[in-house]
Amino acid sequence: MRMTILNGEPDAASPFQAYLEALSNQLVGLGHAVTKLDLAALDLKGCTGCFNCWVKTPGECSKHDDSATVCRAAMDADLLLLASPMTMGFTTALLKRAADQMVPLIHPYFVVEGGEIHHRARYAHYPLFALLLGAGPDSDAEDVEITRAMWARMARNMKSRLAWSAIADRAAAEVADELALVA
Amino acid sequence: MNSLLLLNGSPRGERSSSMKMLQRVAEGWVRGGGAQPEVLHLVRHAQFERAVEAFAGAGVVLLGTPLYTDAMPALVKAYIEALAPRVEAARAGGVNPTLAFLVQGGFPEAAHSRPLERYLEKLVTRLGSHYAGTIVRGNGEALQAMPEQANRKLWARLQVLGEQLARDGRFGAAELKAVAGIERFSRFGALIASLACKIPAIQFYWNGMMKRNGAWAQRFAAPYGPPFEE
Repeated sequence: MRMTILNGEPDAASPFQAYLEALSNQLVGLGHAVTKLDLAALDLKGCTGCFNCWVKTPGECSKHDDSATVCRAAMDADLLLLASPMTMGFTTALLKRAADQMVPLIHPYFVVEGGEIHHRARYAHYPLFALLLGAGPDSDAEDVEITRAMWARMARNMKSRLAWSAIADRAAAEVADELALVA
Repeated sequence: MNSLLLLNGSPRGERSSSMKMLQRVAEGWVRGGGAQPEVLHLVRHAQFERAVEAFAGAGVVLLGTPLYTDAMPALVKAYIEALAPRVEAARAGGVNPTLAFLVQGGFPEAAHSRPLERYLEKLVTRLGSHYAGTIVRGNGEALQAMPEQANRKLWARLQVLGEQLARDGRFGAAELKAVAGIERFSRFGALIASLACKIPAIQFYWNGMMKRNGAWAQRFAAPYGPPFEE
């Protein structure tokens, strides 16, 4: 399985970084092809709602930054793992900045899917989505549920589904075994 | 006279659909007896900093945000993260302002914005604030394409919500429902919408921009994988 991990932890010294590193190594050990993007190390200028990626440079963000790296890594994967600590009840602004710049992956045209208006697909295939949360003492079960609900909607708009989610409170090896069964 | 800190969380700044709507709420707020609000655009760095600094001292904070990939844009989340010390302050007995929100999404149905609304309501609890409600509205992008006059009903309703906020300290449920418009399509409504989406003219907004930009021939470009085919 090809897996891309979007690491939304901005703090280089956080235990969540070490956890993700261990998880990545476990997955590689199981024979999976893993691309781990440390978003804090990338130049992501953020989406400004210009829609150039739909109407000027279709399929690509017109900003000269690393968002193309994120989009390519996402589309090269069978499973896209969104990994982030919880801050103020949701995943980090850093992870959201990367997600905002994934808009070029869909097409502006409207379609009706599941009784709702959504955007048309741009690609024949999209990765499954997974969500790994570092829940601190400030987060409760309701925060996790709300966070899941928002990312599940994003996955749906990205022509996919949120196939797995978990809190990073178990051994990385155990989580790796579970993830390997998802895709 | 109560003070209002009006925060525009749209990365588009002053020209955004969020700001067009917030402006009408602000007009109603003043009409309802509130003081002239301080307006800050979070996309401007100095104003972002000012918004963090001014939060604790405001009577009411109205934060407007577009829906980006089904949640708040990163800019708004960064602002919320900057408010983390106010959670600690509230736990220590400090007082945070009353919070009101405006969420506008591009799709017509309000249902797309409800998970974010739920998050914002929980944020109010986290900050120990009083919750004044969330204005949810779909079809926000249409505000960019339509003449101001075409939205008279919406502007009037947003003004009423602003008046209610100034007078009652919260938005009225009936007016929130009226502004939200379509919550979800019925089966019949979804069928009609599905047929409408197949009419090329319905995509005129995008097609016009693609043609003006010379991008029409590349509109189905798929640089990262095999393209979707109908």
